[in-house]
Amino acid sequence: MTDVSNRPTTFGEQLRRRKPIAAQKGGHGGPELERSFGTFQLMLFGVGATVGTGIFFVLQEAVPDAGPAVVVAFLVAGVAAGLSAICYAEVASAIPVSGSTYSYAYHSMGEGVAMVVAACVLLEYGVSSAAVSVGWSGYFNELLENLFGWHLPDALSYSPIPYEDNVTGLVNLPAVVLVLMCLLLLLRGASESARVNTIMVLIKLGVLLLFTVIAFTAFEGDHFSSFWDSGAAGISAAAGTIFFSFIGLDAVSTAGEEVRDPQRALPRAIMGALVVVVAIYVLVAVSGVGAQPVAEFESEEQQSAGLSVILENITGSGVPGTILAAGAVISIFSVTLVTLYGQTRILFAMGRDGMLPKRFASVNPLTLTPTFNTIVVAVVVALIGGFVPADYLWDTVSIGTLIAFIVVATAVLVLRRTQPDLERPFRVPGYPVTPVLTIVACVYVLSGLAAVTWLIFAVWLAVVMSFYLLWGRRHAALERGVVADTEVPDQPTPGGH
Amino acid sequence: MTVVVGYSPAKGDPSPLHLAATLARSARDDLLVVVVVPAAWPTPVARGADRDYEAWTREEGARSASAAGEVLAGLCPDVSSSVLATPGKSEAATLIEQAERVDASLIVVGSRAEAPDDPGGTIVVSSTGDRLLHSSPVPVAIAPRGFRAAPDARVTRATCAFRGDEASTSVLERTAAICREVGAALRVVTFGVRGRTMYPPEVVGETEVLSAYVEQASARQRDAVDALVGFEPGEVETAVATGPTWPSALAGVTWERSDVLVVGSSAASMVSRLFLGSTATRIIRASPVPAVVVP
Repeated sequence: MTDVSNRPTTFGEQLRRRKPIAAQKGGHGGPELERSFGTFQLMLFGVGATVGTGIFFVLQEAVPDAGPAVVVAFLVAGVAAGLSAICYAEVASAIPVSGSTYSYAYHSMGEGVAMVVAACVLLEYGVSSAAVSVGWSGYFNELLENLFGWHLPDALSYSPIPYEDNVTGLVNLPAVVLVLMCLLLLLRGASESARVNTIMVLIKLGVLLLFTVIAFTAFEGDHFSSFWDSGAAGISAAAGTIFFSFIGLDAVSTAGEEVRDPQRALPRAIMGALVVVVAIYVLVAVSGVGAQPVAEFESEEQQSAGLSVILENITGSGVPGTILAAGAVISIFSVTLVTLYGQTRILFAMGRDGMLPKRFASVNPLTLTPTFNTIVVAVVVALIGGFVPADYLWDTVSIGTLIAFIVVATAVLVLRRTQPDLERPFRVPGYPVTPVLTIVACVYVLSGLAAVTWLIFAVWLAVVMSFYLLWGRRHAALERGVVADTEVPDQPTPGGH
Repeated sequence: MTVVVGYSPAKGDPSPLHLAATLARSARDDLLVVVVVPAAWPTPVARGADRDYEAWTREEGARSASAAGEVLAGLCPDVSSSVLATPGKSEAATLIEQAERVDASLIVVGSRAEAPDDPGGTIVVSSTGDRLLHSSPVPVAIAPRGFRAAPDARVTRATCAFRGDEASTSVLERTAAICREVGAALRVVTFGVRGRTMYPPEVVGETEVLSAYVEQASARQRDAVDALVGFEPGEVETAVATGPTWPSALAGVTWERSDVLVVGSSAASMVSRLFLGSTATRIIRASPVPAVVVP
């Protein structure tokens, strides 16, 4: 063993150093989770986690890009998401740590990549909670309007930053209030249980079914006449935007610990969930596009609460639109809660690793929740939701998620080479084709995103990386030897030289 | 100082007397057994049925008092004890009244009457106990169901449930002071329960939160224990016990028959009285040994 204690770690070593898997295993503590899920439950789970993140908002963003071929864009994005979820499942099962893509990257590819992934998942969770809360605000106002004939003035329901020719205001108040309500719940340590989740899934599916059935009554084949007009570029652009509506499919992968017979159940559940989700989305897209001309999707009145407005235009009555808006208001609330929660736990893991100040990892003894962390997340998300239009947010969410997924697929390839003997309760079928195909699919979807999105992402990445260079790499737990001896994780490390 | 114990022979449960005797012996305190009998109807001129009822309650009180005296004679002839039968509308209010009158250090009560198929051994807070836990000016000790102690039993170890905030530090200091006085060992334990996973579990983070809590709690324990005066380094045992539920967390440490668990009441309470918080309630319910709740 070489004596490294007197020599400072070089920068290259810092970027490459990995958190040992065994050390984390030992520190896990506590009893194992009971394996209680079967394939079918897990599939429902995936459906529940996925449907609702985006479908309530996405048509208005994606149809203008791709026209009727938005249906194809849904299929493309779905395939990319499904492949990524399968790769995710192998990494999640091989690295038995609680966490997210960030933790997996830290364990498999080192600190440098982990920080890139951290920047991505901050977008995946943090920015998507903001975007979802903005979408919620639209449906909330629609519901107020339908029920009481009154809604918040534009100044209080739109952000001040202009996007193309959308309405602007002072602040998106409902979005801010929604995030703060979620903050209170998270501070109390409330958690959405499996039962609440099931109810939310039923509400979401119910209102989407309602939409599909009613929209099909106004179906006109003519609306599909110029199907391929937008071309491949339009489709990949739409697929890029749509991609965020498949976020959540990876939730199935992280539940691997709680599944009976993961090798069989995981891919089946992911595939099953994917088929169901794609079917729902395609139905909604086909019925929506069939119900009104493509140009209508861009109209100002549909910029918020789009699906609800389509229903009103079709039926001429406010009732179905109101029911849909109510369903959206209830279920999107839970989506915001869950994504905010995810964000706090990722920052928590980073705080533990010393990549962020320790305060992010401090737990309030009264509620056993990370209070400081939760407040910071909620305030930042509330500010984004209150002042930035959703149009800027969704593509940023997609780019973050796609890059995180590419990293996961790469991690499958890397781990198979560097640690071939690692125990893998779940192995990707069709290795090495599947992970490579995943990367190809994600890159294709990425190629459709606008230049401005890439610019935003590059700036964000630069911010996160400079924070790492200036602060994180010196404070990392590995740097300070909290987890000693990264090279020989399986041997007990002798203390005190 | 005096230990006040509430006792009702009609319930046939001597466990509060067993606990009170053990505590009084350990602390070299006096023991005052309070038998609360129903108060008579406050009519200006009592006659007929009212007078009969009053007489019956007096007799009943006297009988109960002598029954309690017999139990005490067998249980703790070495402790200076007295029995008082007193009328009162509420058992809890009367106990508090008597505790204030004699400037008691502690009130002892039993658990709720046992169900026929109950294996015993756990604390089930009775209605009297519940009221005391929310309004007593002095600490309250609760005996588990079916608690029995040998005639020479003493408390050998106090386990202080520690959370790491200011309130529990002050509880620890006071517990430590009493331990030093009566020569009992002190153990500091932090209990933690893993939060439920948020569904859908896109990020599995609760295990991580719990292990961070364990680290932080251990650090706070070390600081608090180091700050205690009069103990040798290493003399105070410390532990952090966690689990998916409170009973499993409490089962994470070993318990002796002669242990007591000391729990602080709610940190949220502004009043100086006992006011039991939700966490303390759960810990007490899962405790296999007598629990002392302090303000």
